[in-house]
Amino acid sequence: MPRSWVDAIVAAGVVPASYVPEASLGRPDEDVVPAELVEGDVLRAHALPDGAITPAAVCFLDGIQHWKVVGHAGATPVVRAHVAAAVRRRGADRRLRTAAERSRELAITHVAALPAAARRELERSGVDVVDLPASDLGQPSRFLRAARVRVDRAREAVERELAEACIACLGPAEWLVVDGLLSDSQVLAEHPRALGVIKSHGTQYFTGADLERALTLPAAHRTSVFLPQSHQHQPVYSWYLRLWPWEGNDLLYGLVRIEARAHAATLVAAGAISAWLVRERAPVSTPDARFDRLLYPIHDVETYLRSRAPRDLLPAPASRLPRTGS
Amino acid sequence: MIQKPDAAPIPIGRVVATELKPATPHQFHFWTANETTVGIGAIVKVEGAGSGEQGGRVVYGVVTDGFAYSDLATPLHDVVGAEGDPARAADAPTVRQEIRLWTAAVLRQDPEEPLQPVPIARVFVANDADIARALRMDAYLQGAQPTAIPMGLYTSGGLESPVYLDADFLLGPEAAHLNISGVSGLATKTSAVEFLLASIFQHFPTHRGKVAAVCFNVKGSDLCFLDQAGALDEEDRRRYARLGVAAGPFEKVRYYAPLKADGVNLNTLRTHPDLVADVEPLVWGLGEVLDFAEVLLNRDDIDAKADAFIDFLADRVLNKDFDDPLVGRHRVQTFADLEALFRAIFDGLELHGRGSDSWRTHHIATIRKVRNRLSNVSTRCKGLVTDDGPSNDLPWGQLEDRAVYVIDIANVDPLGQDLVFARVVSKLREHLERRDLGVDAVVVFVDELNKYAPGDGPDTYVRKMLLDISERGRYLGLVLFGAEQFRSQVHRRVVGNAATQVFGRMDMDELATPGYQVLSPATKIKLATLPVGELMVRHPHFTQPIFVRFPRPAVLRGRDGMERFPLTPDLPFPDAVARQLVRLDRAIRPNVVKDLVADRTEDDVRRALAATRRARPADPLAYFRKALGSRVAPDVPRERRGVPPLKPISEEPY
Repeated sequence: MPRSWVDAIVAAGVVPASYVPEASLGRPDEDVVPAELVEGDVLRAHALPDGAITPAAVCFLDGIQHWKVVGHAGATPVVRAHVAAAVRRRGADRRLRTAAERSRELAITHVAALPAAARRELERSGVDVVDLPASDLGQPSRFLRAARVRVDRAREAVERELAEACIACLGPAEWLVVDGLLSDSQVLAEHPRALGVIKSHGTQYFTGADLERALTLPAAHRTSVFLPQSHQHQPVYSWYLRLWPWEGNDLLYGLVRIEARAHAATLVAAGAISAWLVRERAPVSTPDARFDRLLYPIHDVETYLRSRAPRDLLPAPASRLPRTGS
Repeated sequence: MIQKPDAAPIPIGRVVATELKPATPHQFHFWTANETTVGIGAIVKVEGAGSGEQGGRVVYGVVTDGFAYSDLATPLHDVVGAEGDPARAADAPTVRQEIRLWTAAVLRQDPEEPLQPVPIARVFVANDADIARALRMDAYLQGAQPTAIPMGLYTSGGLESPVYLDADFLLGPEAAHLNISGVSGLATKTSAVEFLLASIFQHFPTHRGKVAAVCFNVKGSDLCFLDQAGALDEEDRRRYARLGVAAGPFEKVRYYAPLKADGVNLNTLRTHPDLVADVEPLVWGLGEVLDFAEVLLNRDDIDAKADAFIDFLADRVLNKDFDDPLVGRHRVQTFADLEALFRAIFDGLELHGRGSDSWRTHHIATIRKVRNRLSNVSTRCKGLVTDDGPSNDLPWGQLEDRAVYVIDIANVDPLGQDLVFARVVSKLREHLERRDLGVDAVVVFVDELNKYAPGDGPDTYVRKMLLDISERGRYLGLVLFGAEQFRSQVHRRVVGNAATQVFGRMDMDELATPGYQVLSPATKIKLATLPVGELMVRHPHFTQPIFVRFPRPAVLRGRDGMERFPLTPDLPFPDAVARQLVRLDRAIRPNVVKDLVADRTEDDVRRALAATRRARPADPLAYFRKALGSRVAPDVPRERRGVPPLKPISEEPY
């Protein structure tokens, strides 16, 4: 059995390590981004139309990332990361089947800090190496935050590549639903049958009464469509949609933000699309804690990807007790 | 008959093992696609890494349980998702992920040492060769002297593979006996035995000797038409061909049935004129009965005194010139002779006993009891037991190879059934011990074992005999094929000694008894719903029970037989006698016989007929005529004439 690049650099002098950085190294909150209303002149709650029709064929895309510190060269951590994305297609039989998938393995470190032999082994292994600048060195947390950003970007890149490949061969009546931003890709942002479903609400688009109206949206209602004014992303239309009643929970309970093509047709279809997505509440994607916002097919893609991820990158259930002789 | 696969197999599943459900050396779990041909009883093969030429581990297993579940955390979440409306639950845009998870019991590991947990590897449907390996049939299917007996077809997902039993473990000497149980009507017990007997007759290896079967027909007409071809459909014929068994009725069948009370008509359901000629009367006399007097005694009767008196009769009286001052000279050969002896004893004690209650140390009460039991049997089993004629029995010492001997005692009194069973089995054992039966192995088929060898109840002679066969029969070649509705009610040692156990459709109450604890709930459910023609088989070579299908027996079923060959009413006495003689010699003209027996007492005719049957002479009619004796002209009293007076009567008045 061929040695992994991790074994090779450990053999070359890197001190072995095995721990998954804490989740508290979360993404930084984004800033407030202004938005322009494109449906009406005030942000309103719209009831959803009856008789929503679910498209016969829908592709769902999601990605995962796993990372772990596998060694130290002096005080410089060496991170092994796995990022993957998959598209699971739902046809007339309502069952999900994998249509496409893509994955990457990364070695993230400050290469210059490695012993020469370890550098050679890393090069020989062919693994994608992300060389962090010396400015990210210092306390481990500083390095790990930077590594985390690189892992995020790698995952987003894999998702984007796969989404663009998928959308190129989408059938005439087929839709693509992406877990996350649509506005990261021009191809996606301009496609008439691509949707982004965003579960996290770090970016704030409204203030005052509009914000209150968005955050207290009743169940099975959507807001007016708006155009986020972000310069970093492609122009898309967006709206909030409440999947489950938030009363008795928190304000974000069951609240998702939808992104779709910035086109007049989207204004017409926003209600029907929202009604369709509300239907996607069932089956409930428990036991995932985010089930109130997580569509079951997206949950299914995640489950699929997790089942295929390298097992040694998953957090070990055992404690981090010192290793015994064997 | 073992077919080789044409193409590389496609995996149908994969072994999974978790901490809660690990793979062990005896059990493993695997998943399949939701749409799969795998079901309870399916045989699968696990090929570990490096299997085949590289010598990896191969494990064969049989599916014993199945599970299906989805990723639903709790049922409540399904309710929530459907907002409490079951109709909406079916409308969900996505079908939840489901799993078909199966539990399989290991049949065989290859290599067998060291015994290790089943590897986490791909799972394949077993083909013919795999089935042979899995069930260890390769040991007796191949080689210079194979001993394989086709039992049925293992079927799963469109695949069919023959399943064989090992003759050495079915008919001895390694192990023996077969027990089949199942509910009446649906379990196809009799059909299974009929098919298996046909298979044995065609596949029992000649180097193992000769084999015959003795079947006791204790109810209905199931075994009355084994020599007649039954209807088979194409599917049955295909199965016969797959198993390598020729579809046809038994070539050599001999029927035996007692006579009715009239002593000339046969007490059987096979009375149609086209068939009745093949039925041999089964008639026993005092000698045959006295050997099995214990059968006639119930529990209360069993005492040393009665035994001693019966032994005395058998040793000192029967077929001997017996002389006694009290009773005079006797030669006891028949029940009638014995009755005369008893009368003489009672009369002698009454008239000359001088108040004594004993004769030759036997108390009069004991003598009366034995007399009562013996006369009782001649009354209750009239037709089987002849009062005064010679007996007619099975051809002991001349049993034919691959022949079935059917003894129809369906209409006989239970006491008579016990007597027939005890005597026939004892004679079989005697001759097998002496190696002069004519065959090397005999299959004895007994239905209703619940009745003959019950788990509780009195310890009868028949039960003791069945226990003896079960425990020692395999050394002699005396093999018991027993059938019953409720296995749990049959004596444990009778069931436990059956090396091959067959189960048809079972009753759920029966399956709840301790004897079935080793079966998984799924296997029990399958047993409770087993279709006609499918059986579960346990055999010493199989480490787990296997489900097989067998073709319909190629003989006429009892019900169909009764439609094609309906019962004929009893013939008048002269016709019945004529028919029996014609059976011995077809050239005999019935009218001649009728003339012969006209005006003769029925007892004389019966006696002459029995003698003729027993002697099997070259000229039966002549022998019968001689046995009957010359006709004695009736002694017609002469007309009484008046004696003439010495002197004419004078006309003179006084």
